[in-house]
Amino acid sequence: MLSQEEKTLARECLEMALECGAQKARVSFNKSSMDMVATLNGEVDKVTSCLDSSLEICLFVDGRFGSFSTNRTEKESLRGFISRAVRTVRMLAPDPCRDLPAPERVAKNAVTGRELEIYDPAILEMTAERRRQMALDAAVASSEGKGWKTVSEEGEYSDSCELSYIVDSQGLEALQCETCFDYGVETTIEDSSGDKYSAYWWTSSPFLSKFDASTCGKTALERAVAKIHPKRVRSGKYNMVVFEDVASKMVSPILNALGGYSVQQNNSFLLDSIGKQLFPKGMNLVDRPHIKGNTGSRLFDSEGVATKEHDIIREGVVQEFFLNTFTAAKLGMEPTVESAIRPALLPFSPAGPVPAGMGVDEILKLCGKGIFVTDFNGGNSNSATGDFSYGIEGFWFEDGKILKPVSEMLVTGNFITLWNNLLAAGDDSRQCKSKLIPTIAFKDVDFSG
Amino acid sequence: MNNSSEKYLRLFGVTEAQMRQLVAEGLRGGGDWCDLYFEDTVATDLVLRDGEVSSGGSQEDYGCGIRVLDGEKTGYAYAESTAWNELLRAARAAGSIAAGSASGSAAIKAASIPGTPHSAADGSYYPIKTDWRETEASQFVPVLRKLDAAIRQKDSRVQKVVAVLSWQMSEIMMFNSLGELTADTRPVGSIIASVIFRQGNQIENRTVSRSFRKGAEMITDALVEELACKAVEGLDDRFDARRPKGGEMPVVMAAGASGILLHEAMGHAFEADFNRKGQSVFADKMGKRVAMEGINILDDATIPGNRGSLNYDDEGVPGQKTYMVQDGVLRSYLHDRISARYYGIASTGNGRRESFRFNPIPRMRCTYMESGRDGTLQDLIGSIRKGIFVDQFANGQVKIGEGDFTFYVKSGYTIENGRLAMPVKDINIIGNGPEALADIKAVAGDLKIDDATWTCGKDQSAYVSCGIPSVLVNKLIVGGE
Repeated sequence: MLSQEEKTLARECLEMALECGAQKARVSFNKSSMDMVATLNGEVDKVTSCLDSSLEICLFVDGRFGSFSTNRTEKESLRGFISRAVRTVRMLAPDPCRDLPAPERVAKNAVTGRELEIYDPAILEMTAERRRQMALDAAVASSEGKGWKTVSEEGEYSDSCELSYIVDSQGLEALQCETCFDYGVETTIEDSSGDKYSAYWWTSSPFLSKFDASTCGKTALERAVAKIHPKRVRSGKYNMVVFEDVASKMVSPILNALGGYSVQQNNSFLLDSIGKQLFPKGMNLVDRPHIKGNTGSRLFDSEGVATKEHDIIREGVVQEFFLNTFTAAKLGMEPTVESAIRPALLPFSPAGPVPAGMGVDEILKLCGKGIFVTDFNGGNSNSATGDFSYGIEGFWFEDGKILKPVSEMLVTGNFITLWNNLLAAGDDSRQCKSKLIPTIAFKDVDFSG
Repeated sequence: MNNSSEKYLRLFGVTEAQMRQLVAEGLRGGGDWCDLYFEDTVATDLVLRDGEVSSGGSQEDYGCGIRVLDGEKTGYAYAESTAWNELLRAARAAGSIAAGSASGSAAIKAASIPGTPHSAADGSYYPIKTDWRETEASQFVPVLRKLDAAIRQKDSRVQKVVAVLSWQMSEIMMFNSLGELTADTRPVGSIIASVIFRQGNQIENRTVSRSFRKGAEMITDALVEELACKAVEGLDDRFDARRPKGGEMPVVMAAGASGILLHEAMGHAFEADFNRKGQSVFADKMGKRVAMEGINILDDATIPGNRGSLNYDDEGVPGQKTYMVQDGVLRSYLHDRISARYYGIASTGNGRRESFRFNPIPRMRCTYMESGRDGTLQDLIGSIRKGIFVDQFANGQVKIGEGDFTFYVKSGYTIENGRLAMPVKDINIIGNGPEALADIKAVAGDLKIDDATWTCGKDQSAYVSCGIPSVLVNKLIVGGE
């Protein structure tokens, strides 16, 4: 946890900033620890131990603004750093849109840092030996099947603790702590003709007692084996089902386009979209930052502004942009929050209520025939137009059944068109993720192969 | 020890004797190699938005990373200060990789890792005339304003300009269990312009950049003008551009930024860690033909002022030029000290890290192909009946095992009967590394190194650059409708 000394140091930085000539200031003290044990083919390959702390100092000087950070937290060097920072800010142009958030907007309920119950004190009991054992226990190491053998299995266990303490010159004081126990594994196999296939799987939890990595290695191996002998499918328009593990790739560009900086710079395909029915009825994208015990929950953003449970897109209608103090003032709008904290796409089916837990099998059946995308390989989108093009790999399916792996294919389109061809959104997003996007399906998507 | 070493020892507040003691502490439990990596980095950025340079800031990052190797196994820890107790803690944590194989000796062991393979580089690949740290932000405010004005003056469709000038200066000192002490001062300066254009209801964006390992002398009126011209180049076609019909077709890649093909399709697969573990699609191809005769592909740390250049890599090995493919035959992977020991050869100086927080791994520097003898870009385009020409890119990716790579094309043209036809934009291209390399059928004589802000993201970020002459790849899959 953060010591009283460290909290005092953050406050002293505020005072130094004001003494050096700033009229307002905000200081964030960020501290983290991470211990990692990596395995290669069932043996320990690497151990890493990290301890980080840094101060981020935002200065408001004579109507001007600058942001500075340092990991040199000795008091004597900090005074010089802040004094130089104030001098630098004075060389910039004034900007009336830069200000601290209004005191009534900042979080007042993040006092102990544990309010959202995502801190597990069990992390303090972890030892080097236990970490090694957990990494070794999760490893599958080499195995062999009909027509394939394992080339390598790289596993990585880690546990970490992150603390963020934020104070400003208008009385803000907020603290957040989060622990994370994490395991990821990448398995590479080789078939009888020497072709290689890799797959990854992972799990994570804020709590040691809920952390279970025992099936990760097996899942990664099965995913790699399933890729053997891929084919390309003839170019054309097909239904596309996107697996929940990678489905956020279809949602992130929407969230970015609703971001204040994108909107203010006209670099968004969702300009002037508030209140408009741009997405299909039945599509609901919400932000749920206050769910206790869930990865990524937050009571405040980087300005200290209180987060809130809110709708981003309701029944296909865009509800709001993500506006911090600066972007809201630039746009002449009311500030909201600076970004989506834990966005969640709610289940959707054209046939009415979605059965609880609806996942890949049901959605493949619903779609009948098409391409089931399990991973993306590069690609990008144009933030101003919403046009996208991504490499994909996955499986061809018919009658709801997976028939053959596909690779070296591309999917190309426009996000507005894509989402208006939404066929279904499942109820299978994993709680270990901070973006809760389930398996989703679209019709008439352009594939090139 | 010389005067130059004194400067770095003073900066980090340690002596050679203390560094020997830290190495001994790291090796106390066993292990056969220990190295220390001290870093003091200062970075500054200035941002012009809506016509004014109204935000900016700076960052300081200081610390020491300590690595202990036990065979090919790695222990790594770091301290964010050079206080003795913090350094000792990091040395012990890194040394835990060898726990249980302790010999009980605190003496520096005779490492089986080869020492620095040859003498240090003569002089520097990035001599600094004007140290960025001795400049003031106010010097660069007019530069950004000038860039903004130049872009706006060149095209009336400009709606918004965000221009960023950033620099970073790093003092690096390395010491290892062979007693080798190496130090370097590394500059990086970058200038970027992101522009939004509007024509009727159509909006287009474009980002252009230049980056060098140079001091503040790199900021000139000529550079500003070059960037402004680049920002508006070919804009009419951009507004007319459409998605082509997708599928497999010949691809002509323009000289310069098309070097992303080498970085993604081949460069990563040539990194020796992937090959040592048997994961790379090129793992069993050393000494074999992988491309047509005459093709030479290099990774080079010695180009003066280049963003990917290094006097020494992050393991203290001198910067050098490495031929990976010579006359079409695979001749070398890119090695750090671990993989060099595994293969029984000298490191190629590719051990790099993002900062003291990371252990070094094999990474590219400036990756390019030498000029060929197949004429000009026009000759390559003229040889194609139906295909695509690409010249601007955003990003790329590769799957090491499968060898499947992609890169995202921001602009290009279809080729019809040997001529450029319809402008295209925002398409991904996918291929397989070994197949694409073998499928390069013509290489023009116009090698160009691209000086944009290329950053590679293999676990850690690293400054790189790339280049290529115009090439014809016989077939790749192009995204489209």
